[in-house]
Formats: sequence, C-alpha cells, structure tokens
Amino acid sequence: MIAMTHAGYVAAAWLAPAALIGGYALVLLRRGRSLSRQVPTEERRWS
Amino acid sequence: MTATTPAGTSSGTTTPTSTDPSGTRTGRGAPGSVGPSHTGSAATRVLGLLALAAVGLLVLYGLVISPADREMADSVRIMYVHVPSATYLYVGCFITSLASGLWLWKRTPGWDALGETGAEVALVFSFVTLLTGSLWGRPTWGTYWVWDARLTSTAVLTALLIGYLALRRLDLDPDARSTRAAVLGLLLVPNVLVVNRSVEWWRSIHQDSTLVKLDPTIEGDMLVALMVGFLALGLVFTWLMVHRFRVAWLEQQADRVDLDAALRERRAEAKGQVAPPAAPDRFDTSDPSGPDVDEKVTPA
Repeated sequence: MIAMTHAGYVAAAWLAPAALIGGYALVLLRRGRSLSRQVPTEERRWS
Repeated sequence: MTATTPAGTSSGTTTPTSTDPSGTRTGRGAPGSVGPSHTGSAATRVLGLLALAAVGLLVLYGLVISPADREMADSVRIMYVHVPSATYLYVGCFITSLASGLWLWKRTPGWDALGETGAEVALVFSFVTLLTGSLWGRPTWGTYWVWDARLTSTAVLTALLIGYLALRRLDLDPDARSTRAAVLGLLLVPNVLVVNRSVEWWRSIHQDSTLVKLDPTIEGDMLVALMVGFLALGLVFTWLMVHRFRVAWLEQQADRVDLDAALRERRAEAKGQVAPPAAPDRFDTSDPSGPDVDEKVTPA
C-alpha cells in the first residue's frame, strides 16, 4: 500500500461510495425521526 | 381505519380508542404510550455496529493486506467495493420484483413498502457500482465510460430504478400508483438477467464473472478481501433495507393519519359543526393534547 499505483482512483473509489452510502444513511435516519413524530406511537412497532 | 402490520397483513377493522374508568385514553396515540421516535431498534444498533466493524475489516484487507494484481496493479482494490455493490444492486432488484408480484397478488401494504425499499436501496448501490466501475475503467481501459453491453445495460437498469421511484411520487390514487409501480417493478429482474448475461451474449470489454466458476480467477488474500467486501456491504445493505422499510411504513401511516383527519373535517363540515383539529403534527408521548386518530367517526 505504501507505493500504490493509481492511488487517486483507488482513493476516490473508496471515499465516494462511503460518502454516498453514509449520506443516504443519515437522510434515512432524519426522515425516520421526522415521520415518527407524525404517527401514533403504536404504529412504531420496533422497540 | 384499517390497521395494518409491517408484514403486509391487513385487518380491515376499526379499533376505537377506549377510555378506562379514570378517564384516561388508552388507544393508539394516547399520551403515555411507549414507542421509539425513530427507526432504530436494538437489533439495528447491533447490525449497525457489525456493519461498521466489517467495513473496518474491509479497509484493512482491501487497502493493506491484499497484494496488488499482476495486470490491474493496485486498481484491483476497487474491485473489493465494485463487485459486491453490483451484487447487492441485483439483490435489491430481486426484492423489488418479488414484492411487486406479491403486492399485485395480495394487495397488502407491507409488500408495497418493501418494493419501494428494495428499489431505493438498489439505486444507491447502482450509483456505487457505476461510480467505482468508471474509476476502475480509467486506469485499466483508459476511459471512464464506454458504450459496452455490460455498462450500457447497467445504466438502463439504473434508469429503470429512477423511473420506478419517480412513478411512486406521482400524484395519483395510492392504489393505482402502487399497481403501476409494481408492474414496472416486475421488469427489474429480466433487466438484471440481461445485465448479468450481457458479457456472454455480446462482445464486451468487461471481464467475465470472477467467482461464478469452479476455478475462480482470484485467490489468496485477494479472494479473502473480496469475501470481506461481500460481508461488509451485505451488512450495510441489510441495515439500509431495515431502516428504509420502516420509513416507508411510517410514510404509509402518516398518509393514513392525514386522510382520517381530512375525513373528520369533511364530516364535521357536513354536519355544520366546527371542524375538529386537523392532522396531528406530533405524536410524541410528551404531548398530552395530541388528538386520537383511532376515534371512530360517526357518519353524518
């Protein structure tokens, strides 16, 4: 790894998916939190 | 009001809110009832921790332990993300097609929610697949994109997923919208088969399958890194699916609450009464004045 060829491409190919999936996960958590306040508590069946 | 379960069953009954002898409301939405104000649970927290640990292991294997390939050099490390992403893109499409078929058959909202869930998560993985594929193609083929059979069919599959999700956001009757989306959802699996077989059916610069052979073309630490990639992205995929399904479930319930409140208003108007409060915007346990959505409305 010390003298990696195509280091820029490898870094981009690991960081971009991490940012994409991480960002999507955060959006999901925020949407879930927002929607949870709009429905009765008994409809949130996970606990 | 129809009470539904996440598994997709529908009771089709109204559950009126009861009042105990002390006058305390005990029905759905009653103050004091307990429920998480998010989509997380103990199981998803464990799943999330496992996914993070597996991603850490993937970084270790993929970027440190795995040797460079003789032909691809270090760009082989991109494969540890690219190949599992493509696989879970297929899995998401299969889930959506299956759920679409079951929605058309059973007409229960849980399958509808699962279909939407699979498509949205599959779309995220399709972006990852296209992105990592392009970044691998530049140093290997000398170009980010070529209109090759595998790449083109993957782009078509991505467009189909976008179309499916756009269809679900049309302002239509919910049942008609779900039915149309389900018909489109059924087309995902044939498209996945075209993508998967494209390297055999047409001349392609994309390499053949690496693993689906008795004698895989990858071995040693590179094979281990790829397997860790499947494990890590599989756990991430599952975590996203669970949370997205719960969001879809909550969206259905929120729509139902809005509809119930609108019906109450219309009926009160028809009786010449002052309309009761509109749709509740909070069902937090800390809000004791929250209206009860289970209150059965007597027809005017």
